[in-house]
Amino acid sequence: MKRFPIQKRTLVMLVVLLPLLALFVYVALRSGTLAPVDVAVAKVENRAIAPALFGIGTVEAGYTYKIGPTFAARVKRLDVQVGDHVRSGQVLGEMDPIDLDARIRAQEAALRRTEAQLSEAQARHVYAQAQAQRYEKLMAARTTSEEIVITKKNEQQVAEASMNAAREESARVFAEREALIAQRQSLSLVAPADGLVTLRNVEPGTTVVAGQAVVELIDPKSLWVNVRFDQIHANGLAADLPAQIVLRSQADELRAGRILRVEPLADTVTEETLAKVVFDQIPDPLPAVGELAEVTVALPALSAGPVIPNAAVQRYNGKLGVWQVKDGDLQFTPVTVGAADLDGRVQVREGLKVDDQVVVYSTKVVNSRSRIRVVDHINRTKP
Amino acid sequence: MDGKGVRIEGLKKRYGSGDTAVDALRGVDMQVAPGEVVGLVGPSGSGKSTLLKCLGAVIEPTAGRMILGDEIIYDDGWKVKDLRALRRDRIGFIFQAPYLIPFLDVTDNVALLPMLAGKPNPEARSRAIELFQALDVEHRAKAMPSQLSGGEQQRVAIARGLVNRPPVILADEPTAPLDSERALAVIRILNDMAQQFETAIIVVTHDEKIIPTFKRIYHIRDGVTYEEAGEGRSIA
Amino acid sequence: MISLAGRDIMHSLGKFVLTGMGLGLLIGVTLSMAGIYRGLVDDGKALLENSGADLWVVQQDTIGPYAEASSIYSDVWRGIRSMPGVARAANATYFTMQVRQGERDVRAMVAGITAGELGTPGWPPHLIAGRQITRGHYEAVADFATGFKIGDRLQIRRNYYTVVGLTRRMVSSGGDPIVFIPLKDAQEAQFLKDNDAIWQQRHRTAANQAFNRPQVPGLLDAVIASQSTNSYVNAVLVQVEPGHDVDAVAESIRRWKRLTVYTRSQMEEILVGKMIATSAKQIGMFLAILSLVSAAIVAFIIYTLTLGKIREIAVLKLIGTKNRTIVGLIMQQAIALGVIGFVVGKITATLVMAPIFPKYVLLQPFDSIIGFVVVMVICMLSSIISIRAAMKVDPAEAIGG
Repeated sequence: MKRFPIQKRTLVMLVVLLPLLALFVYVALRSGTLAPVDVAVAKVENRAIAPALFGIGTVEAGYTYKIGPTFAARVKRLDVQVGDHVRSGQVLGEMDPIDLDARIRAQEAALRRTEAQLSEAQARHVYAQAQAQRYEKLMAARTTSEEIVITKKNEQQVAEASMNAAREESARVFAEREALIAQRQSLSLVAPADGLVTLRNVEPGTTVVAGQAVVELIDPKSLWVNVRFDQIHANGLAADLPAQIVLRSQADELRAGRILRVEPLADTVTEETLAKVVFDQIPDPLPAVGELAEVTVALPALSAGPVIPNAAVQRYNGKLGVWQVKDGDLQFTPVTVGAADLDGRVQVREGLKVDDQVVVYSTKVVNSRSRIRVVDHINRTKP
Repeated sequence: MDGKGVRIEGLKKRYGSGDTAVDALRGVDMQVAPGEVVGLVGPSGSGKSTLLKCLGAVIEPTAGRMILGDEIIYDDGWKVKDLRALRRDRIGFIFQAPYLIPFLDVTDNVALLPMLAGKPNPEARSRAIELFQALDVEHRAKAMPSQLSGGEQQRVAIARGLVNRPPVILADEPTAPLDSERALAVIRILNDMAQQFETAIIVVTHDEKIIPTFKRIYHIRDGVTYEEAGEGRSIA
Repeated sequence: MISLAGRDIMHSLGKFVLTGMGLGLLIGVTLSMAGIYRGLVDDGKALLENSGADLWVVQQDTIGPYAEASSIYSDVWRGIRSMPGVARAANATYFTMQVRQGERDVRAMVAGITAGELGTPGWPPHLIAGRQITRGHYEAVADFATGFKIGDRLQIRRNYYTVVGLTRRMVSSGGDPIVFIPLKDAQEAQFLKDNDAIWQQRHRTAANQAFNRPQVPGLLDAVIASQSTNSYVNAVLVQVEPGHDVDAVAESIRRWKRLTVYTRSQMEEILVGKMIATSAKQIGMFLAILSLVSAAIVAFIIYTLTLGKIREIAVLKLIGTKNRTIVGLIMQQAIALGVIGFVVGKITATLVMAPIFPKYVLLQPFDSIIGFVVVMVICMLSSIISIRAAMKVDPAEAIGG
């Protein structure tokens, strides 16, 4: 067999077929389901973690004033536009009085009439009183009959009563007039506090019903974020915790704030807890009311302890735990996890010690029979 | 080898039957002694191919008798069961073209026959090498057939015909593609080999260049052989 | 005895290997096709595996959430959670949509997962980089098949999400990569109308006198608010407590909650049996045709190889070669061709073809073994034609040519 042509062919065969065969063996064992699972491991660190809560909310005003007439009326004029800043007591607009002035004049006339009536009643009363006194003196002098004296006394009492009636009537008419004047004054829409006009619901000429808002004001200083936290993540939420606010329109800018209060009522439908977060400094320009904001609330840092990445924690056979590499094989270690921070670190309460190695990433779901290969980081381009 | 040569008596071959039957051989008698080279000459359609095929045990004659060495191989029917083994062990073939197996080297082309007969490879190869020495192609033993010249190929083909030491070798126009010098060289080799290995060699040919070299010639015409003495011209 | 087949192969090694490689490419395509089929089935199962659920609770009489639309109220899970045997129950939404990132967009299935402790059903069970979602909003874990990287900002409907983690083989039954986002965002993404639709709806409502009464200030706002709220999810994923019978728990939910519940095997039946059945048949058909074509080509190749050797075979027969030896010559060559073809096919399928397919191609060793056996059988069967041709060769042809 040691002949040259065969030798050359054998050589060719070795050159062509052996790499092919080697490649085949590699392909058969290193790819597909027989390939070892790449896993990346990490050490359990000893560090303090600062848990934080994350919620989203909308910018809202703490105080919103809805200003409108107290009775149905037509808008006569509106002096302010949306976006105007107004001061407390400033007249914002006026409702059309329609017949109110005439009614006030009528009341004034009525008042004068009642005043005249009162004067007349007073005059009658003075006369009746004088008559009564005179007849009493005559009675004392036995110059008149007792019956006449009684009649005069009665007349005096009637005059007094009608005088009182006239006085009260006058007071009534006066009060009515006052009421009309007050009503006349309430036709002016007056700002109850300093604020910013956010809504101008109707235009002059529109008739509005009692209680319907013509203009809405907010108090810019009372601007807060109404934040919703998932109830599952709301543990530790409390007033006065510092918070960072990111407005949707200014995603790069972190604004400091704090929790004003946690609402005692939670939302049952969305399973969220609500909290009000106020800005330490009201942003200028003001954020739009209703704008979306992301709020991160920092909770007090916890004391140092074993910490692992949350990607390491898996559920296996109903138990929460981590995979550990022991003598080249995988072993499942159940753990009890504690607090977590927003960067994906989880505290381990039980099951792991600092410097233990845990599997963080794997290319497949692993089990204790998986063949593994420990790598620094998983090459994602490989199928 | 028993050295009794080959004998044919009254061999007949009919193709087809009934009206369309053709009698290719009508009673051929032939005898070739060991060490003898005879010519079988005849025009196309005379039946020489048929005779060769009958003798080569690839077609069955219709009647007659064939004796190879001291064994009757055909007597109105095959007397040998394994024709394949018969062809392999007791009949050597040399064809018009060398018909070497292109994927075997020269040695294995020849050694293949003893190997087929069950001989171990080294023995088969040493037999082949032995023949190459006799045929003077020893230096090409490791070459592939395609690397050989026509004459060398033909010599290797002769070695293949001889390698199992058959009592008879059938050579079918072995010189047809060769010029006269080479054709004569082939005939000389055949003569040498016939004597050296005590083999009867039947050379089918119509090559005028070589006909004069035979001592005995069988003419075949219309299925019948006529024996005549050849010139037996010596080949220098 | 020497190996005639081996010698012949050696003699024309280049031709033979090239032929084998050509055949290999064909076999590679066939193996890839099988891989595509397996990948299809695996895609269907991956979703189930990765969801970590034992039971899927969906809208009554639907085969949701993957195969059909299903919507149930998002507070249903509380009732289910309190059923005996239920260890964990979590809302989930699934919605296939285009996810944009910068200039490009990727077709992906957006899965809404309930915030909660680690290992909640629906969460990606393992990552290959990054971390799990920690914030209740605007974070995403994406499958690496989306091409997203950690830190990328994705746009899903109106909101932007930051990719914080990457997964592998988290795909929908259709093979689209999954992007996990918090449930509340997903609900919004799924049910949220686009801005124009919201505006138009508001105006339509405002124009309706019944809703916009001057006498009743606030009614319009209340109506619009009620129109835009939603509290639906597609399914509740349930994990059953160890020791409880999954079917019994499923039955009790079915009976008392009036919802449709699927166990994992039923879900698999839906996904594999119903959703991908047609595509699977399609591919199966193609696979069958490819196998036939391969068989035909192997047969042609071997037949041609044999025809090229007809004279040699005649000579071999004439000089007394046994039929067995000649059958061996042809069949061994056919098998050698098949082996080379298979090796080349397996390599190309694994290293060249599988990675370039957009969808997952799963090449299973068992399939390869079947493939190898099939290739061998095909080669042997194909060589039968050639063997018959060789057997017909008359040794007499060598004589008197």
